[in-house]
Amino acid sequence: MTATANESAPANESAPTNGSPPTVVGAGVRVRVRIPTPLRRFTGGASEVEVEAGTAREALHALARAHEGVGESIFTPEGGRRRFVNLFHGERSLRTDADLDTVVSEGDVISILPAVAGGLTAKDRRLAELRSEIPEVSPLEARALQESGALIIDVREPDETSAGFPAGARRVVRGFLELQIEEHAPDLDTPLVLMCAGGVRSLLAADDLRRLGYRDVRSLAGGFSRWKHDGLAIEVAESLSQIERERYGRHLSIPEVGEVGQLALRSSQVLLVGAGGLGSPAALYLAAAGVGTVALIDDDVVDRSNLQRQILHTDDRVGAPKVDSARETLLALNPDIDVRTFHERLTSDNAERLLAGYDVVVDGSDNFATRYLVNDVCVRFGIPNVHGSIYRFEGQVSVFWPGREVSPGPCYRCLYPEPPPPELAPSCAEAGVLGVLPGVIGTLEAIETVKLLLGIGEPLVGRLLHYDALTAAFTSFRVDRDPTCGWCGDRVETAPALIDYEAFCAAPTP
Amino acid sequence: MASPDTWTPRFRLRLDDQDLAAVRRWAAGAYPNEACGLLIGAAGAEGLRVVEVREARNVEPDRTTDRYTLDPGAVHAADRDARSSGLDILGFWHSHPDSPAIPSQTDRTRAWGGYAYVIVSVRTGRVGEIRAWTLEDGAFQEGRIVS
Repeated sequence: MTATANESAPANESAPTNGSPPTVVGAGVRVRVRIPTPLRRFTGGASEVEVEAGTAREALHALARAHEGVGESIFTPEGGRRRFVNLFHGERSLRTDADLDTVVSEGDVISILPAVAGGLTAKDRRLAELRSEIPEVSPLEARALQESGALIIDVREPDETSAGFPAGARRVVRGFLELQIEEHAPDLDTPLVLMCAGGVRSLLAADDLRRLGYRDVRSLAGGFSRWKHDGLAIEVAESLSQIERERYGRHLSIPEVGEVGQLALRSSQVLLVGAGGLGSPAALYLAAAGVGTVALIDDDVVDRSNLQRQILHTDDRVGAPKVDSARETLLALNPDIDVRTFHERLTSDNAERLLAGYDVVVDGSDNFATRYLVNDVCVRFGIPNVHGSIYRFEGQVSVFWPGREVSPGPCYRCLYPEPPPPELAPSCAEAGVLGVLPGVIGTLEAIETVKLLLGIGEPLVGRLLHYDALTAAFTSFRVDRDPTCGWCGDRVETAPALIDYEAFCAAPTP
Repeated sequence: MASPDTWTPRFRLRLDDQDLAAVRRWAAGAYPNEACGLLIGAAGAEGLRVVEVREARNVEPDRTTDRYTLDPGAVHAADRDARSSGLDILGFWHSHPDSPAIPSQTDRTRAWGGYAYVIVSVRTGRVGEIRAWTLEDGAFQEGRIVS
């Protein structure tokens, strides 16, 4: 079939058009361009198109002008010839760009033909082997498998999954696949569908899991791009920014933290009661760890005598509110977090309002009235209360959390139903403290807080860790819940109303 | 690899026993190198009907065991001959020495949509499976070879 360049329908003659002369475009002589079958969809099915041109290049451009789509198949956007195209002028191959300027004569034939090539790289060979061994499924099949209990494992990198991933899929980057897969699929018979961007890495990943012993492993052909193309549901999860990835790189390397854990820390809110000796290291480490909201309540101002241990503060801030000094230090360390400050004293009037909604409260207070108040509000709200206290060379840490769902622990009142008489409970100001000691105890409080936020390890619930700096000894004591405790005991329906704690602690016990 | 019960071939390629045998013979003869050639015939309602198979020189300069480049002159000659008989080049065949008859990444990047690509697996000199593929939207889809 031959078509002239300005005809949209193919002519019916099998020889060059004759009879009434066709209208041709361009200037020069008439040449015929032979169209390979794949390009005939652009020429209305014509296997040959007649154009008017002076050179081979002009002939091809005339063809391209007349039949949209042909040009893109022969030329690159820059105008060069595509790699897998061969051109012939009569019997002569037009190999170079200069060859295209060959002058053509009336009736000449120019052929467009595929440059046929292929082959196997080592990678190709491996992938071809894997394709013959590992079943590939379409997105629809993958979703059906997922609905019947299979897991879709997205092995792409975090910067790829940040734009979305199949709804319900588990994200496990390929580098950690073998190390983390059992957390998602402890049973080797769990059907797994591996997925990447285009279906290549998923094959390699599927092979890895097969070697690990998983018996039903498949690969999603076409990967996430096909999933999206087919219009199946995707989920967009929070993810870390590149800067966060750099900042928390050492966390991300720990399987127990990873991106999921770091995101959990980012969305966590921790309130520290006291921006002093214990609050300083605790706040610094929590801010450094990436706890998204670090709130501090303290009504005090920085005193030069604080600087021996309260490392949030600096000499030039003596006289400034501690919470303001703390904010400056914490944001200098980690500008990505939200630091909330309350320059007031925690009292029965404001405690519920201030503590509500926090994931963890870190008690770094220096007096019994505040400790009881923090305890009572935490019991009421079910918030874990990370407690620390210090005296000269000794310190202790515990997590009071009677509201814990599994293995609840005691509250502060289970251990100390009554405050000690004031003369037996000296403050740091009265008794003195080794400056480094709150660094140890406050840091332990930060560690317990991070563990609670990540839900990893065994928190100090039901245990009290005692540290003696002089003997360099840690001792752990078991502390039990008191089922008859007036605040968290078995018979308590709702925790009692808050009391006047100053009075409670000031009055000697009868 | 789709499961057999859900798989529907994208096209049918009619290749008679004699032509199939020729392709097998050429593929085995070239082992451990890659062999390649052309499929000439016509497209119809029944699919692609191959009338003639040809072997072509693999002009790949260095890596003949894992690469093929079909002699451009052979393609041109085949195109000319096919047209003179009212036929067309329908596609190409090549062998995969010691690999399955599945298109490789290299095959995919160099393939043209609209042609049939027949791949012959040859393992340690013995011809294995023969499968036919076509490129659609950048991905190979399998067709069915009927004789």
